[in-house]
Amino acid sequence: MDRRSMMKFAGAAGAVAGLGALTSPARAAGKVTIALIPGLTADGFYVTMHKGAIAAAQALGVDLIYQGAAEWNVALEVPVLEAVVAKKPAAILIAPNDKQQLIAPLKKAFDAGIQIVCVDTFIGTGVFQTGSGDADFPVSYVASDNVLGGKMAAAALGKAIGGKGKVYVANVKPGISTTDQREQGFKEGMKAFPGAQVLETQFNDDDANKAAAQFQAVLGRAPDLAGVFGANLFSASGAANGAKQAGVAGKVKIAGFDAPESIVAQLKDGTFEMTIAQHPAEIGYFGLVAAYAKVTGNPVPTAIGTGFTVMTKANIDDPNVKKFLYSSK
Amino acid sequence: MSEPAPILSVRSVSKSFGAVRALDRASFDVLPGEVVALAGDNGAGKSTIIKAISGVISRDGGDILLDGKSVAFATPHEARDSGIETIYQDLSLADNLSIGANIFLGREPMRRAFGFLPVLDRRKMAEAARETMARLDFHVDRLDAPVAAFSGGQRQAVAIGRAIFWNARIVIMDEPTAALGVPEQRKVMSLIRSLKAEGKGVIFISHNLRDIFDVADRIVVFRRGENAGERRPAETTSDEIVRLMVGK
Amino acid sequence: MTTAAVPAPSARISPLAQVARLRAWLFLILLAATFEVWTRIANGASFVLSVYNLQAIAIFASAPLMLGLGQTFVIISAGIDLSLGFVMGLASVVAAHAANFGLARLGMGPAEAALFGIAVGVLATVPAGLVNGWLIAVLKVPPFIGTLGMYGVSRGAAYLLAAGMTVAVNDDWYGAIGNGRLGPFPVLVLLTAVACVALHYVLSQTRFGQHVYAMGASKAAASRAGIDVRRLTMKIYLLSAVMGGVAGALYTGRFSAGAPQAGEPLLLDSIAAVVIGGASLFGGSGTIWGTVAGAFVIAVIQYGLVLVDVEPFWQFIAVGGIIIVSVLVDQTQRRFLGGRVDE
Repeated sequence: MDRRSMMKFAGAAGAVAGLGALTSPARAAGKVTIALIPGLTADGFYVTMHKGAIAAAQALGVDLIYQGAAEWNVALEVPVLEAVVAKKPAAILIAPNDKQQLIAPLKKAFDAGIQIVCVDTFIGTGVFQTGSGDADFPVSYVASDNVLGGKMAAAALGKAIGGKGKVYVANVKPGISTTDQREQGFKEGMKAFPGAQVLETQFNDDDANKAAAQFQAVLGRAPDLAGVFGANLFSASGAANGAKQAGVAGKVKIAGFDAPESIVAQLKDGTFEMTIAQHPAEIGYFGLVAAYAKVTGNPVPTAIGTGFTVMTKANIDDPNVKKFLYSSK
Repeated sequence: MSEPAPILSVRSVSKSFGAVRALDRASFDVLPGEVVALAGDNGAGKSTIIKAISGVISRDGGDILLDGKSVAFATPHEARDSGIETIYQDLSLADNLSIGANIFLGREPMRRAFGFLPVLDRRKMAEAARETMARLDFHVDRLDAPVAAFSGGQRQAVAIGRAIFWNARIVIMDEPTAALGVPEQRKVMSLIRSLKAEGKGVIFISHNLRDIFDVADRIVVFRRGENAGERRPAETTSDEIVRLMVGK
Repeated sequence: MTTAAVPAPSARISPLAQVARLRAWLFLILLAATFEVWTRIANGASFVLSVYNLQAIAIFASAPLMLGLGQTFVIISAGIDLSLGFVMGLASVVAAHAANFGLARLGMGPAEAALFGIAVGVLATVPAGLVNGWLIAVLKVPPFIGTLGMYGVSRGAAYLLAAGMTVAVNDDWYGAIGNGRLGPFPVLVLLTAVACVALHYVLSQTRFGQHVYAMGASKAAASRAGIDVRRLTMKIYLLSAVMGGVAGALYTGRFSAGAPQAGEPLLLDSIAAVVIGGASLFGGSGTIWGTVAGAFVIAVIQYGLVLVDVEPFWQFIAVGGIIIVSVLVDQTQRRFLGGRVDE
């Protein structure tokens, strides 16, 4: 997935939304219904994604169903999927909880005539419509390009530490596609700073308390620690707290990932040097537009990468930056 | 009447559970320092009469007199407060606590540490444990050991000790020897004699006729909820008691 | 003993049982010694004689310990409180909202708003504790199921109140409670220490504590001794929830935000701390100081292994191994004591 395909598609989407020029068999038969199944419901990222989907649904006159499980668990997501399939929507946007285990249930939905779009996470390899493999049937994969996000974090953090010193990645746990890709992108991006050294990644199980202690332990062994990339919110805020407890807040630069509204104060008081905001609303918006386009017989790119915004103390008050905060309102 | 007045009198007590008449005008007395054994086959009404006395169930008819006054306990706690202590087969001990803590369980003595902070008065509990157990000829060297560390007979002694410490006047013992080996059974028999020496009234239920003959002053036999006879051990034989129990 | 009808009991606490009782402290000493040698070789510095390390470990241990303190009472009473995983997060979110409300709407200063937030956050856990107690004591729901239900309810409530996000708080006072120092002592650690002392007193020196032990050994025995077991159960789960509330309210100060999922990763560590500390999941045994040691065992392993730069996955193996050893020691001790009963 590359940036160009997204831009191109954004133009097409605008045409769809603005002109309503396409005559659609589905529309002739009544309103199109599209469902969105988030990875989990209780999460600001998906809440914001839902809002993007709502915006697209309103623009296109689509009925949107939003149903999800409370936690990240295949055993909970599949029943939700089955219930949604029973409502016979024209398409389903889904953030699959597992690359393999969701293939069969989604294939069943696809065989029943429902178009599938993966958002945020994917099934199989994430490369669709190739004509090979058992998981190429989804129309498109719409997500942040997490490798790119990691690279952007590396570029910004590398600059903030003056290109030298030790850094490490505070990560959740291995095996999560998105955070693994961020770490991969970060490590690739840090190669542009030969004076900097990337230490072993610390996994914290999404426990900010543990992330804080790990920061202190790493600092205890490497007093020349210059920066930390927190691959998700709790990893970053935990590392930031560790820096505060160790009395090196601001001195060791913390780069975070994701942007709930609470990040604003933490950027301003120097707890965070920067954070990489995803654009979940875009994922929801483009996901829905892609599904609608497919249902109405239009071509759709098989991968759509949405962008990022680097937020810092300096730019956070800019409305063009601020609008990418994840908001529940 | 040369005998002293009974502590407890059970007079024509009846109890039905649905169509089943579990007790039919059951009567007996318990005098101070007397061990009354209740004998009977399964279903003869022994457990029911104990429950009626100790406040676990209410009676349908008849009367129970404690020191000549009619009583009807709504709960086992009321019965205990009036001096009727029941020692069940499973002993009702908290195995992880010391003897003293078990004696005082639910009524722990407190003292003030540093003049203001209320804390458990462990010394008082230990002293009470030592004295009480000495009354039962049971001398403890480790007062802080949990009762789980003691043998079955020793734990019976703790349960009995709790009863005498709180001045129980009637001690009901339901099959106290059932789960014990022979040497331990002997210890329990001697504990019952200690209770008798303290002037308590003891109601003793057992399947074991040898134990009954060993320790009872009187044997009250029940059959199908009714009194089937009353004998003194010296004036009867186990064969006769069995005949009374089975009704032949 | 010449006249005794009943021979003197030979009740002794065996050396094995003594070791078993103090096992958490033994683990801790062994670990500290191991890491002392290891860090001297790997990093050329002392592990134990470093104020920096001690502060970091103490802060690290504080959060699961706060949850573990209430859980100690629950586990001694032969129960378990799984709801803490999200009761803590609920308190954290409510505390954040309340502090913000105090600042913005009630015209409070930062100190008042911080205290107000903490108080309201802690109070928010009271219904959860009472419902847990009611389910278990009155409706006889097994603790595992009842508190799992409340885990879900608290989770939903916390996420709803936070709208699926975290709730930011901008209050320097509140931040100072979470991150400040008094001399070399982090405020968080001091507060945890006060809670440990207070709850040690409650568990070991009051009737309530005594009844918790009795209930854990035998509910029937406690009940027959005149203890109102229902009321006692309600109190135990209320205490546990309130301690979860304190942990949650402090979390909000420390991270300047209320987070619904604050307690979830801590729940199992807190239970592990209680078990490593010598409590039995069958009830009847356990101490506050044992739980303190248990929490420090976990914190020292996890901190120490990062400090000496060991592959992170070894942490799981190390903590898991110590839990297994603790449970085995407990089982052995039980069998040992159990064998004496009918000697």
